[in-house]
Amino acid sequence: MIDNLASHQFESNIMKESSSPKSKSSKGAITSSSTAEYFSKNLQQVGFSSQTKAVLTTLKEAVDNSLDACEEGGILPEVKVEITKLGAGSLKNTDKIKIRVEDNGPGISEDDIPKVFGEYLASSKFGKGRCSRGQQGIGISAATTWAQLTNATGARVISKTKSMRKAVSCIVEVDIKNNRGTIKERETLDWDKPTGTTVEFVIDGRIQLNGEAGLLSYLTGTAIVNPHLTLTYKIAEEPVATIPRVTEEIPELPDAVEPHPHTMKLGEFIAHSHLFGRVKVKEWLKRGFSRVHEGVLNDIVKAGLSRSIIEKSVDSTSETDFKNLFTTIQNLQLMAPSTKSVMVIGEEALSKSILRMGAIDFFAVVTRKPTICDFKPVEVEVAIARLQKRVGEADEPVQVLRFANRVPLQFDKSSCAIAQSISSVNWRAYGIAQPRESLPQGPYIIAVSVISPFIKFKNASKETIDGSDELVEEIRRALIQAGQKLSRHIKKESKEGELEEKLRHIEQFCPILVEGLCRITDAPDSRKKRAEEGLVKILGRDARDTEAELKVAHARLEKITDRENSKEKDLAKERDSENDSGDDSDDESETADGE
Amino acid sequence: MASNQNIPKLSKELCSKMLSDLEKARRPVLLATKCSLDNANYSPKVGYLTPGNKKVRTELNVSSVKKMTRAIFMLEILLRHLETGQVNSKRELYYIAKGYTKGDPRLKPLDFGDQEESDSTIDFICELLECYREELNCFADDRGGQTYSQQLVVTETLPDGDKAVIDLSKLGTSPFQPKNRPQNLKLAVKKKVDFALIVESQGTANTFAANGFTKRNNCILIGAQGVPSNAVRGWCKLIQDQLRIPMFFFGDLDAYTMQNIFRTLKAGSAASLIRNSDFSAPDVKFLGVLPEDVKKYDLLAYPVKENDAQEMRSLKKAADVMKNDPFFQDKRNKGLANILHWLLKEKMRCEQQSFFTVDPRDPIMPEKIILDKIKNGIYV
Repeated sequence: MIDNLASHQFESNIMKESSSPKSKSSKGAITSSSTAEYFSKNLQQVGFSSQTKAVLTTLKEAVDNSLDACEEGGILPEVKVEITKLGAGSLKNTDKIKIRVEDNGPGISEDDIPKVFGEYLASSKFGKGRCSRGQQGIGISAATTWAQLTNATGARVISKTKSMRKAVSCIVEVDIKNNRGTIKERETLDWDKPTGTTVEFVIDGRIQLNGEAGLLSYLTGTAIVNPHLTLTYKIAEEPVATIPRVTEEIPELPDAVEPHPHTMKLGEFIAHSHLFGRVKVKEWLKRGFSRVHEGVLNDIVKAGLSRSIIEKSVDSTSETDFKNLFTTIQNLQLMAPSTKSVMVIGEEALSKSILRMGAIDFFAVVTRKPTICDFKPVEVEVAIARLQKRVGEADEPVQVLRFANRVPLQFDKSSCAIAQSISSVNWRAYGIAQPRESLPQGPYIIAVSVISPFIKFKNASKETIDGSDELVEEIRRALIQAGQKLSRHIKKESKEGELEEKLRHIEQFCPILVEGLCRITDAPDSRKKRAEEGLVKILGRDARDTEAELKVAHARLEKITDRENSKEKDLAKERDSENDSGDDSDDESETADGE
Repeated sequence: MASNQNIPKLSKELCSKMLSDLEKARRPVLLATKCSLDNANYSPKVGYLTPGNKKVRTELNVSSVKKMTRAIFMLEILLRHLETGQVNSKRELYYIAKGYTKGDPRLKPLDFGDQEESDSTIDFICELLECYREELNCFADDRGGQTYSQQLVVTETLPDGDKAVIDLSKLGTSPFQPKNRPQNLKLAVKKKVDFALIVESQGTANTFAANGFTKRNNCILIGAQGVPSNAVRGWCKLIQDQLRIPMFFFGDLDAYTMQNIFRTLKAGSAASLIRNSDFSAPDVKFLGVLPEDVKKYDLLAYPVKENDAQEMRSLKKAADVMKNDPFFQDKRNKGLANILHWLLKEKMRCEQQSFFTVDPRDPIMPEKIILDKIKNGIYV
């Protein structure tokens, strides 16, 4: 997988490759190389820049593919991850690590297996305009390449689709010279699963379990933004852990939308025209773009462009005409792109999901309506939770979880649009400590998910979101809304504290006040006694009022706690029942593997 | 207005009223004068800012019981001191209060966390009794007001009734330092005094005296040392009332000097509404630096720097002052308001020491300019 930016960079390569056979390189001559060749030499660009990152990226690519496949097949995903240390790696200071990811997705047909795992840019994801985790289809092939480079073996794949009686098992390798996947050791086997895919990589790398860039952080993060996922994982010597799903709803896959003309550059615009064969320019405009209709075509003519240009066939249009057409469209007022293509998690699902993070005092969840930022549909969702167990120092920054299209972002936090937005909010107003213009502090988790069919990443390995002003503002608004919700809880707490303090005040200060007044006025004991009785009456009224207020506040809090408890009980029940069935399936799958 | 003698009486009345309210199970209510600009009146006939009718009402309830108890606790300490004649600063009173709360565990809840808390309790008592803290034997440091004169003789009545006579011409190069309660001083002159000059910078006042200003002129020369303390304000009021001589203020041309230093000296401040009558000298004139002096003497003026927080704040405040401050709004003070307008418009400042640039070879050039300005009536 690779971001849009990188895709532009390599587009020319791909086109060359398909149009002309590769020329043999000779001294001094300019040669073209295959996409696979390029990436095999530049794997650091797609997340293989260190030994620990290699493990994380491989895992990430496999899990992302599984989730995308399940969603497309309308299946509730059940993903099992196993990461095992096999011994010393071939490179210096590395371990030989096996990463195995199994899903219950629709499976991959035998013909497609080499394309998916062994060919760069082969998948159907490229430029689809849909909110899938993967966008181009590079990542998993890069993982295969890494395995091939460090362990001399590609990816072992077992897959079964609905139409297959037996599962097919094989090793896929990348033919780097020709950017093609090849299959080795093919065999069929019985698999008790109706459908699914298992992929196994043996690579050189190192396991980093904890920390922001750790495997656990990736897995729990993935679970948060995928409430419909049941994730089972076993990493190295750690015990098996399962995060059960909290919703049975499969996210609805939104329809892909055609690109909006304002989101394109001239080169892309011209390249886009070639996808439609011999059609008239006006047909291409109407079919190939969103928000372009007959009215817009009339506007183009009104804006001074000759009608003959849009009546011409696309392939006979000159570059100058394309340029004029492009400039005219850019200057037109078009309707903003549709937001239908954005796939949301939803407040309810996110609420349930955040409760899986462990002992949480309270939380606030906000799902913004889809909107347009930089001419691209975007949806922002935010969850803020306060942890019961206050681990670490009080002045430690909050835990920030960043997600782009439901994939956790784990590197280079400071330059990410999400971190920028969090720092720009005045959290002190909501009762959370915050040093000036930095992340707030305290036992909180702030999770921000940005979903868009066209996320602008800063780098090819999709680690940080580029912060345009519009996007930062949109995230900021979501955070402010969540902050306001959260502050109601915090204020309630502090109000209770205040009331208790007031009651204490009455007991402490009243006798001192009366004694002081009596000493200054030389009042006799009888006056002192009467004043004390009067004071008790006055403050008794206050105390009664205060106690009543306190009772109401307690009742309110109990209600909330009860609600949360019952939610948790429901969840626990669901979990138990799922665990029971989950255990069975584990056993079964193990037998299947064994066979 | 309370005086030192009737403070114990007033306090007893206040406490007795509170006690009888409590006996009747009624909530005692304390009324304190609101000391802020929105409760300040100014009349050119009176000459200083006076309090309006607004009162701060404190009723006994769970939220105010701590504040009230602390006030009564501190009042008891102060009354005891008035009785014995003990005098203390605010800081000392903070420690004395801490001493009481340390010695009696029942008083622990009254313990002051920091001096700010005890200071605000003392201020609250002053607002309740409409007195100033010196009347409660709580004195501030005698800052500023160092005075030079060859003609002035001060007679001070000491606490034990003795009298001390100070002839300022006999002090050599030492100045006379006025006290925070100048009401105990009596002034006399050996020879007619023509004017009094209050210089904003203590250093510049000392320079003038060293260069023989008071020898060449029959005058009283005072250094204000920035924002005038109670001592300086009371001392100027005393000179104005007892000697009835023209008084001039010589300071920087900037918004801070105009609003915080000169206005306080001439008409008092909003925070001290209760005591402005004794701590302001309405007859003082602003001798300069005036905007026209900058032009006339080609003085070195600087643009106000963005990073000069105090001056930027003062400029911002100046815009509000034009709208809200009854002193600058009064048409008799139009000349002073015009200076503020000029400062806001030009965003420049010119220091008093810039008079030394006029003729760097002549050490008494500033004196010459000042005398010339007094002679020709170039002041506001």
